[in-house]
Amino acid sequence: MTAYLVSILTFVVLSAVLALALNIQWGQAGMINFGLAGFFSIGAYVAAILAVSGVDPVSSTLAAIVSTAALSAIVSLASVRLREDYLAISTLGFAEAVRLVLLNESWLTGGPNGIREIPRPFAGVLDPSSYEVAFLGASVLIFAAVYVLLERIIRSPFGRALRTVREDEVVAATLGKNVLALRVKAFAIGGAVAGLAGALHAFYLSYIDPTQFASFVTVYAFMAVVVGGRGSNRGLLIGASTVMVLLEGTRFLKELLPFMNAQQSAALRLLLVGVALILLLIFRPGGIAREYRLTAPARDDAPATAAKT
Amino acid sequence: MQALLNGLIAGFLIALPAIALSLTYGVLNFANFSIGALITAGAYFAYFYNVDLGLHVLVSVALAGVSLSILAIVIERLVYRPLGDADHITLLVGSMGVAFVLENVIRLIYGADVRTLDITVSRPIIWNDLRLNNEQLVIVAVAVAAFVAVALVLKKTSLGRAMRATSDNPSLAEARGVNRRRIINWTWALSGTLAALAGALVAMDATVEPLIGTNYLISVFAATIVGGIGNPLGAMAGGLLIGIVEELSTLAFPTTYRQGVSFLILVAMLFLRPHGILGQAKIKR
Repeated sequence: MTAYLVSILTFVVLSAVLALALNIQWGQAGMINFGLAGFFSIGAYVAAILAVSGVDPVSSTLAAIVSTAALSAIVSLASVRLREDYLAISTLGFAEAVRLVLLNESWLTGGPNGIREIPRPFAGVLDPSSYEVAFLGASVLIFAAVYVLLERIIRSPFGRALRTVREDEVVAATLGKNVLALRVKAFAIGGAVAGLAGALHAFYLSYIDPTQFASFVTVYAFMAVVVGGRGSNRGLLIGASTVMVLLEGTRFLKELLPFMNAQQSAALRLLLVGVALILLLIFRPGGIAREYRLTAPARDDAPATAAKT
Repeated sequence: MQALLNGLIAGFLIALPAIALSLTYGVLNFANFSIGALITAGAYFAYFYNVDLGLHVLVSVALAGVSLSILAIVIERLVYRPLGDADHITLLVGSMGVAFVLENVIRLIYGADVRTLDITVSRPIIWNDLRLNNEQLVIVAVAVAAFVAVALVLKKTSLGRAMRATSDNPSLAEARGVNRRRIINWTWALSGTLAALAGALVAMDATVEPLIGTNYLISVFAATIVGGIGNPLGAMAGGLLIGIVEELSTLAFPTTYRQGVSFLILVAMLFLRPHGILGQAKIKR
């Protein structure tokens, strides 16, 4: 039971890291990334390939972060000048192209079999019995670090400029902001975080294959962001937990509907996630937590000044 | 030459949903990411009528078109209309949710097995070393008929005029007495039919499985953008072009990378001519 709980919690934290990535791209910058699973998989594969060939885990993770950030910048460059729809289209296409490469370039990615026996980081120094718990702890710390870093970015002048671009790019451009550079940077930051999430995923599972990076990964991340409140990092942990509760909680359906085979009950669970996403978009588009806003203390003399002028 | 012919036929299959995508983009002003799932749904509707009910394959294709147009209107009523006041980014995410739900409903009912329609296998027609089988002839006939029908509807009927007007300027169209609700319903019905025809024809020519539509998604988007998004007749040309280029690319690259080729074309178009080969430079954010 504890082992189950630890592994569920680890998955929640990892998906929350991925949701953080989406939240800076979609939440803060208003850029839709339908290919999130693709960037996530690149992070995982880069880290896994390097780690298997003997590079230490920290450098592998850094390489994963750098490569996804660079690819994100390139992909976003193709369409940032255009309406949001085009970025959604090109990221989706990118994810599909990545999936094809993962499936077909077996010499590099193992093809459909994926990569096995990825060395677990610091397995030598840690007691194997407490490894899972240690990994969970490390993931929580990494999540916290990314969270703090992103919050700082969001509250910085850069973050404010980003939201201005999201709301009205003409205003941002008129104020002398480089809209194109802001967008590409935001997308690259998100990509870096997605790459980090991918690397953690690879190290945690210690084997990866293309089926782990199907489009449902993207849907879960969107769900977590929508539940948590678009633009708000605070709600994300709750959002990610909700998705996990929905996924794990619906396992009982299998006992309730014994005539279904495993495939059908899996489909039913994913279906429920999709329906929940749509219902949320319709009825609670704001999610549960509010986006960070600068608030000024109320001025006592405000009505008086207003009256004078 | 055979590759060219195969490409042309594949192009017809891409062009049908590309027109549907372009229509919904033009009239409703958002990119419908559920188009892939709609294609899949069309294929399964055809399977349902043809195999489960035992109807003739052409009747099944037609019924699939009707069923999916009704389903598309129902989805509009249940999902997109309630989302109506939201920005188009929310609509995009909503359409992805719709795709996810549709795909899993199909998996729930039919599982992930690969199925085939009940078709009597016939000898292909061979003419000057070019092979063409019956199913491919049907594809060409149905697709051409659908193009002519869409072109006529858009150019000659009052419905088509109203659709084009809404596409150009929704509020002006409404001020001139165009009933927006009616136009939206017709747009969904039409694009549902086109997607279903594409799915049913793919099912005829190949197999039925939960990912057929998804496998076409990138090609369809590439075709739409090549033709100029929101320009249904351009999408037709774009579809044929993408079909031929994909097929010719298999001479140089492994066949598994067809969608990758479409993605490269798509990115190249976005860099060079985001308004499409035929479109005018009026694309704005």
